[in-house]
Amino acid sequence: MLSLLLIVVAVVFAFQAIRARGLIASALWLAGVSALTALVLYLYGAHTLAVIELSVGTGLVTVLFVLAINIAGDNPMAAGWIVPLPLAIGVSVLFVLVLGWFVLSALPAPATASGETVFSDIFWQGRGLDVLVQVVLIFSGVLGFLGLLAEVKAPLGGSLAESVTSGRDLELKALEEQLLEEPESPE
Amino acid sequence: MNLSPFTIGLIGVVGLLGVGFYGLLVSRNLIKIVVCLQILAKAALLALVAAGQAAGQIDLGQSLALTVIVADTIVAVMGIALGVQIRRRTGTLDVRKLSSLRG
Amino acid sequence: MVGVLSLLVIGLPWLGAAVIWLAGDRRPRLLHGLAVGFSVLTGLAALAMLPFASSSASVRIPFGGVLGDFSLVPDGLGVFIAAIAAVVGSLAVIFATDYMRGHNEQLSRFYALILFFIGAMVGLGLSGSLLFTFFFWEITAFCSYALISFHNDDPRAVAGGVKALIMTQLGGIGLLAGSLLLYSYQGNYQINQFLANAGTFPAGVLGLMAFGCLVAAAAKSAQVPFHSWLPDAMEAPTPVTALIHAATMVNAGVYLLARFYPAFQGVPGWRLAVMIVGAASALLAGLMAVAADDIKRVLAYSTISQLGFMVYAVGSGAIFASQFHLLSHAIFKALLFLSAGALITSLGTRDLRQMGGLGKKMPFVQAVFVIGALGLVGLPIANGFFSKDLILEGGLAGGPAWLYILMLFSVGVTALYSLRLVRMIFAPQAGNGRGPEPTHDGLPAMRVSLAILAVGTLTSWLVGGPFGRMLATTLPAQHLQAESTWALVGQILVNPFTWVTLAVIALGFSLWAARKYFARPAAVLKPLAESGLGFEWLNRQIVSLTQRAATFLQRFQTGQLNWNVAGILGGLILILILLAGVR
Repeated sequence: MLSLLLIVVAVVFAFQAIRARGLIASALWLAGVSALTALVLYLYGAHTLAVIELSVGTGLVTVLFVLAINIAGDNPMAAGWIVPLPLAIGVSVLFVLVLGWFVLSALPAPATASGETVFSDIFWQGRGLDVLVQVVLIFSGVLGFLGLLAEVKAPLGGSLAESVTSGRDLELKALEEQLLEEPESPE
Repeated sequence: MNLSPFTIGLIGVVGLLGVGFYGLLVSRNLIKIVVCLQILAKAALLALVAAGQAAGQIDLGQSLALTVIVADTIVAVMGIALGVQIRRRTGTLDVRKLSSLRG
Repeated sequence: MVGVLSLLVIGLPWLGAAVIWLAGDRRPRLLHGLAVGFSVLTGLAALAMLPFASSSASVRIPFGGVLGDFSLVPDGLGVFIAAIAAVVGSLAVIFATDYMRGHNEQLSRFYALILFFIGAMVGLGLSGSLLFTFFFWEITAFCSYALISFHNDDPRAVAGGVKALIMTQLGGIGLLAGSLLLYSYQGNYQINQFLANAGTFPAGVLGLMAFGCLVAAAAKSAQVPFHSWLPDAMEAPTPVTALIHAATMVNAGVYLLARFYPAFQGVPGWRLAVMIVGAASALLAGLMAVAADDIKRVLAYSTISQLGFMVYAVGSGAIFASQFHLLSHAIFKALLFLSAGALITSLGTRDLRQMGGLGKKMPFVQAVFVIGALGLVGLPIANGFFSKDLILEGGLAGGPAWLYILMLFSVGVTALYSLRLVRMIFAPQAGNGRGPEPTHDGLPAMRVSLAILAVGTLTSWLVGGPFGRMLATTLPAQHLQAESTWALVGQILVNPFTWVTLAVIALGFSLWAARKYFARPAAVLKPLAESGLGFEWLNRQIVSLTQRAATFLQRFQTGQLNWNVAGILGGLILILILLAGVR
């Protein structure tokens, strides 16, 4: 029952994350969702995973968001949705109903635990290829991150920038230079 | 209705997926989009672990879920980096204005 | 032994293509020599396979899983198609060494594509697995496109190539669908197994496969209503036209129909549909040939018409007759196209109205062209006579009489446009000296190919008996009966309908002689024939419809993330509903 309560609260937190006005608030609600998920994972018996999820999902990702919001700025957006709100609500509810029906109409019989397994054995030996994949992912992610955040000398053709901005570039550049004082990477 | 732990987990999965997709439909800020992607990732984690527990192979479920965490964190990182870069070049994070891939 | 030969006959031209492509364009004489060498070797290897034809697979390489076994079955049909492709291919390459003189840029691309094509065509004939037949089919379609648009700075050539590609590929989809259906009901792609067990397939599936096969064959062999790509493909260099669009690739459709005839003959309506497609093509294309003024277009329409004869023969059950005519047609049509190539390089024009009176100035070309025309018309000294009469006999025995009368009419039309062609080019009183002067009467390499093909036109009917025996012994599913050459000849000469055919031919000739009296109706009908009898308009409608649908669908690509997600979500809901429904 505790898991059910935690899950319901997590769903509510997630909904709040979407509805939040500011981006920092949104990131904090997300951190709450991550923490609750980690608790639920622990209650399921996935102890190692819960710890990892707590540190990565709640800690690392939230810090990343805060960093990004600092760089990108927390300006409020103009109101108005692209997809009309009733349609969005309708499609999401329909999706939940269909998925719920699909999933809950064919529940498997509970199986017994297949002996004592050690997580590290399964992770490093049984799913060794996954470890390799993760290493490659992390490596490429870091490279991509550095590449994407590199300073560019000259802007692009300018048409997209011109059609959208109105002089915020100068402010932004000053702010960036202020924040990113330590050299992040060579070009 | 019997509420086995697996069923509870599935309720969580369906709920988080629904909220996450609703957020993707409704959010206009690029950073919020990344937040919604993270919500979807939590749902995936729950699904894997719940299935692992129901099948009696919790450690296998954990291993797979760990890969999901790594992958989704990298996705969040890339999304944020893209968002920052877009903000620098076009000055806005509003997806309504970022539609140059029009047909 | 046969296994080695089968692999050689595909591998040699492909090796040659790779070698030539790597050799580059700097030494044209080396390229000419390499191309001729490889193609002649392939021709010899293919001919060497003829005595060893058998109905069991000579090569079998398992590719496992979905791809099945790659098998080469050198049965009568297979080695026959392979021999034609290789031999006519080598003659076309020999001709091309003189034709391409002065076009040394990208010569390596030209020869490499031709050799690549020869290997693929041979593979198509020999393949015993329907999936690999499809692969070879696609390779020939690609080579055809690349060679038609060989002069890719000419927009008409490129347009012709693209049109050929699109129309034949639509047929290729039918072939792929057929092979997948075969796999799902049989577990593998082996054609011989299918032919033996066709009766065990459910009737609906067999019908679907049969008509899919007809569509694929009609598109590839340029039959009505998929014929309009062939006249536009005449932008290709003439050796290419002779090889691909007269002797080999367009015969792939007829080959497909003949090979699968035992399986599909029981499908209700299939045989009649095949016969109608053949007869319609024969007649309509013949009428269009009477009106055309470009020498290659006339020959293109003539090819469509003759292929119609072959398709008609398959539909009526006369498989041997259709293959025999395929042999005759490959030889005399290649001869006609190559002589047209000699004319074109000598005069610099393709327009018939600018030719005339060339009989005295180009005696060699006139002689071989007339021999080819004799084969086309079907006069008793050339091979066309025997094969065409066998077709008509078979058609009368196996099909309705009204179709036979239409075919007879087509024979007359054939005589008409052939005589028109010969007279407009060579007759002393035709033309009024306005046309260009010929610069040569067939260059040496051209003469070699032309002479060999002319001899072939006059003598290939002699192999009728052994050919029939080879087909009968190696194609058990077809239940063919073999007879010796002289028995066949006797049969033809004794048949009263042969004389009817000859009379119709004479009638066709006389129509040309009396053409002054038909000048007024001819002038009215000519624009209709030139526009392809309405099929060009149909093609343009289909193209504009596709473009309008694409423009309409563009509106759904908003480029906005939220709408894209909505689309993804909608699709996901649909899939879930489908999956839940299936469960």
